[in-house]
Order: sequence, then structure tokens, then C-alpha cells
Amino acid sequence: MMELFFKPKSVAVIGASTNPKKDGNIILQNIIDSDFSGDIYPINPTAPEVSGYKAYPSVKDVPGNVDLAVIIIPAKFCVQAMEDCAAKGVKAVIIEAMGFAEVGGDGIELQKKIVAIAEENGIRVMGPNCTGIVSRDIATTFFPMKNVPKGNVVLIGQSGLLAAGMASDIVVNQTLNVNKICSIGNKCDVNENDLLDYFGDDPETEVISMYLESIADGRNFVKIAKRAAAKKPVIFLKGGRTEAGAKAAMSHTGSMASDTKIVEAAIRQTGCVKADDFTEIKDFAKVFSTQPLPNGNRVAIVTAAGSVGVVVSDICAEHGLEMPKLSPHTVEKLKDVFPPNMPPANPVDLWYSIEKLGLVKTLETTLAAPLEDPGIDAAVLILAGMKYTMPVLDEKTVQKITAQYKKPVIVCMLVGYNEYKNRIMEELGRDLPVFTSILSGVKALSKLCEYGVRYHRKNG
Amino acid sequence: MNIEDIFNKAREEKRTVLTEIEAKQALTAAGLNCSDTRLAADKAQAAALSEEIGYPVVLKISSVDITHKSDAGGVKVNLKDKAEVEQAYDNIMKSAQAACPDAQIEGVSVQGMARPGIEIIMGMIRDANFGPVVMFGLGGVFVEILKDVSFGVVPIDKNDAAEMIAEIKGKKLLSGYRGQEPADISYLEDMLVKLSDFVDKTPGIAEIDMNPVFAWNDGAVVVDARIILE
Repeated sequence: MMELFFKPKSVAVIGASTNPKKDGNIILQNIIDSDFSGDIYPINPTAPEVSGYKAYPSVKDVPGNVDLAVIIIPAKFCVQAMEDCAAKGVKAVIIEAMGFAEVGGDGIELQKKIVAIAEENGIRVMGPNCTGIVSRDIATTFFPMKNVPKGNVVLIGQSGLLAAGMASDIVVNQTLNVNKICSIGNKCDVNENDLLDYFGDDPETEVISMYLESIADGRNFVKIAKRAAAKKPVIFLKGGRTEAGAKAAMSHTGSMASDTKIVEAAIRQTGCVKADDFTEIKDFAKVFSTQPLPNGNRVAIVTAAGSVGVVVSDICAEHGLEMPKLSPHTVEKLKDVFPPNMPPANPVDLWYSIEKLGLVKTLETTLAAPLEDPGIDAAVLILAGMKYTMPVLDEKTVQKITAQYKKPVIVCMLVGYNEYKNRIMEELGRDLPVFTSILSGVKALSKLCEYGVRYHRKNG
Repeated sequence: MNIEDIFNKAREEKRTVLTEIEAKQALTAAGLNCSDTRLAADKAQAAALSEEIGYPVVLKISSVDITHKSDAGGVKVNLKDKAEVEQAYDNIMKSAQAACPDAQIEGVSVQGMARPGIEIIMGMIRDANFGPVVMFGLGGVFVEILKDVSFGVVPIDKNDAAEMIAEIKGKKLLSGYRGQEPADISYLEDMLVKLSDFVDKTPGIAEIDMNPVFAWNDGAVVVDARIILE
């Protein structure tokens, strides 16, 4: 059933517009721009044609089957559109229009009518008040979207921020290797449980990252999320956790917040990775989707700035990461790139070597040796936005080294000039998780280590 | 009496609050170790039951109308002989009737003084969204002031129970602090799982309090319990 949303063979856009500024036109254009190769039916009461496709006054007039209908017309007309879909035999509908439960009053009644028609006719409904799906196969959002990656991450969200702002950021800047971004809005029918169930079993999906303002069905959520999280990492940010948050949730997508402690218990029980911020649902997903799972929590810090060592140690300790001594064998390997009066240690200080050999040569020893150390499970590489760092980008040094070892590496970039910092973010950031703060980098790595330890304990 | 009979009796009497004795019967049936607690309808029976259970004993007012037993002067502890029991019985009746003149009093509950242990609270509430949820915490100030408790959504397994206990900030107290005997954590985990199984299988329960539970290095006992039906 969920296949009809993600891999339909035919799609109707109810409210397809000839005006390129209107949502109903952008949605159609997004579908055209995606890899979707099935039949496209614009539904428009007057226009004979929209964006080069023959249009029909009603979905009932479409000659062939309609697997999926996307509805983008004012809320008051949506009930009729749903009835038309029912008459046509459409089984999957995305209602993107606003003005339902989230506005209260009549909106609640309208949403109830939608649900009643759906239940009576066996139609699954995503939304209302959502942007549906962003993927290479099909994109139904009303924000222009092209060249969506065919990656391994699925983002699920209730809010426009994720669906619009983050989606554009991720797709345009290629900051995350997404496969699908789903915005499920008011969740009048299709909710996170349906999606967790579907993506838990979907072989293309390796990481699920999710932002919810409310949990639709707590009891089933715990069971379903636990099942999905046993198969792949599920990162979860829950809004509306405090009183203030709960009020915001009510006025936003018409949802009620659950009690903080119970929600946290549920997250712990399901084995989901708890995120505390929007950036984290992306950052954690980046780490989980690009880095191998470590076996432990022992971290080597490899840093272009020696003085950060103390702070890094504290942050690592706060996040349950250990910074052990390097093995004698590793120390031996590092001796040549360290000054005679300064024995190699963890953190591995690169400055002397950078001056002597340049950063590329330096990393070939100083990043490789700790990763080879059997007493080290992961590494944090601290770079600076300096000109001397650029050859590392050109030669893909970090990518080449990390590819040789099945150990996670995250990069923190602390200081430097914007022109170089931006290049590091953009170029290295495509392949590896790059953070602008040690705290967020170490936190993300700690989540990966925690998950890895748990995963290996369970799966041997 | 089995659990269903206990619940039905309460419902017939239009009660949602079970007496301590009923609550302990239900929890005992669920496999939880509760202190042996019996009802005495009069003074003579209180004395006889005390002899049977063995001194020292605790007497508590038994009335479905009195939920805050201590506040009503309805609890006397560490009673060492028959004379003390009889004296306590009279005092309890007098102060309970003074505090709650309209209360229907069925007598007193008699139970032995439990061997002291680390004070624990376990409980259950029903969440509108998640359904039954079990709770674990350390008793006394830890629960009242620091709210140092953790939750688990029913059903929980032993692993979930272990994580619930590990989440408590004061968990070090459970491993023996300043000569205090450590708690049998595995036993506490089993208790949480039994509580979870019980509420999972038994519809109609709104809330459970097992407060306090005394945790020892070889088990634990539910010293006081309350069950509220929906």
C-alpha cells in the first residue's frame, strides 16, 4: 500500500495550475523533473493543458488508472476532491492544502470528513498540511526540487522547516545523501508508524531520521520503532517536550504533546538515537550514513591546533568517549613527525609536522597510524580553514585514508578564513561529516559509538 | 480471591480505590512479594492475628474512605506485644473516627514489620497515548523532591527494566552506600517485568503505587500498595 506513495505508476495533481508561481504548478513541475516515468494527469477545471500535459476537469475524467493523487486546492474543496478520488478508485492521496485540524474550528470538521471518506473507501491519506515526498523517483513538494540524490537516508518530518528549508539545503548543497524526505503534516491517516514500518524494511534505506511534534499512536510506535531501530539507526527529534514546546505544537500542526518523561522512556526503549535539535537530525544522519559502526568508544584526536586538547578531552568524557593512550607501536610510527623533545600522544598534535612536511604528508602518517591502532575505535580530525589545508581537499587525502580503515572519522573545523572554511565544508563535507564546533562533532560521534557498541553486542 | 473477584467486588461497591489488603492480594497474585497483610475486624482479632504473624507488627486503619492513613492517625508501627496492639487499636479507631467521622471502617490491617532495606517506589500510570507505563524510583526524598524516577512503556522486558534502573541518578545507592546492604538489582528488574506483565494483561487499572518497596540484597518486599481502578 505505501508503495503507491513512493513508486506510483500514475499520478494526478488536483489543482495543477498554469501559473508557474502557484504551488499547483510547482508540484507538477517537480514530478516532471523527477525520474517519474509513469502517467501524469493535471487536474484543472478550465485549462486544457498544463505544462505540456493534457489536463482534465476532474480526476474522474482521467482515462487510465490513478495510483496517487496529490491535492493542492483550498481546504473547503478537498472533501469533494476526496470523493472524486474515491469514485475513481484512487488508493493513495497526498493532501498538501492547509486549513485543517491545525487551524481548529471548521478545519477539524473538514479533516474528519476526509478521514471518513478515506476509511470508507480504503484510501490512505498523507497530510493534510504537508509537502508529501521528495525523492528522485517522485517529488510532490511545492518548493522547486531537482536532482534529488538517490542516497541511503530517509528524513521524516511534520514541519515545513524540514520539508522545505532542510530539503532545499540538503538537495541543493548536497550535504546529506538522502533517498527520501517525507513531510506528513497533520497525520490524519498515514503517520510515522506506517513510514517506520515501510522504511524499516526498505533495502534502499540505511538510516532514518525523524522530527515529530506528536506521536500519533504511542503503544504501536514503541513496537514499530523498536523493530525498525533493530534493523537500522533511527534518529529521532521530538518537539513539544516542554510546556512551552507543547503549546507551540498545538498552534502549529494541531497536535498534542506527550509528557516529556514518557516520551523519553519510549525513545530509550525503542533504541532510537535521540536528537535535541534540528541540526542534529541532519548531523547525526550524516555521521550514521557515511561512517562505519565502531566497536567501542576509544577515540584518537588528530589536531592541527594543539591547544584544543584539554577541551576535547573534557567534551569526550562528558559524552562517554574515552581518549586512551596510543599503543607503543603507534607512538613509534609517529616519532618521525614529532619534534625530538615532544613525545607523540593523544591528542596527536600536527603543527610541527605540518610546518615540516605539509598537511598531506602529515596526515598520511598521523591520521593513518591511530586508525591502525587496535586500541582506537574512532578518530576526530581537527582542521583549520587555512591555505595549507587546501591540498588535502584537492588530493582527497582524508577520504583516501579513511577508506582504508573500517573506523569512523569526523572532522571539526574550528578557525580560519571563510574562503577556505567554505571549501572544507563544501568539498570534504560531501563525503565526511564536517562540524564547525567540537561539541556537536563529538556528540554526533558519541551517538554513533553508543549505537555501534549496542549493535555489536546484540548482533555479535 | 483472584484478581477479577477483587476488582469486581470494588466495582460492585462503586469504588475505584482498592484497600491495601486487596491491592496486595492482587499484586501477590501477579507474582510480587508483598508483606503478609491481613484484616482484623475487631480488637480481639487484631491481637490474635498479631500473635500469629509474630511481633513486632504494624496496624493500619482499613477503610475505603481513608486514603491518607497516616494523616488520620491510622498507622501504628513497631508494636511489640498484645498490650501494645490493643492500645494501638483503640488509638487508631479514636483518631480515625475523629479525622473522618463519615468514613466506613472495616477494621485494621495487621502486618509484620518488614526487614528494613533500601526504600524503592514502583508504580504504574496509564498514559492516554502510550497506554500503561511503569515507573521506578528511589523512595523518600528522591522521589518527592528530586523526582528521580524513570519510566518504561508496557510491555517491558528485563533489558528495559535494567535500563530503567540504570537511568536513576541515585542508582549508586542501590549498590551499597556507607555500609548499607546493596540491592538485588536483578530481583528488582524481575519485579518491574512482573508489574508490566500484570498491567498489560489486566485491563481496568488506572494507577498503581508500590510505596515503599524495601529492597534487600536477597530480594525485596512490597510494604505498602495502592491500586486505583479506571
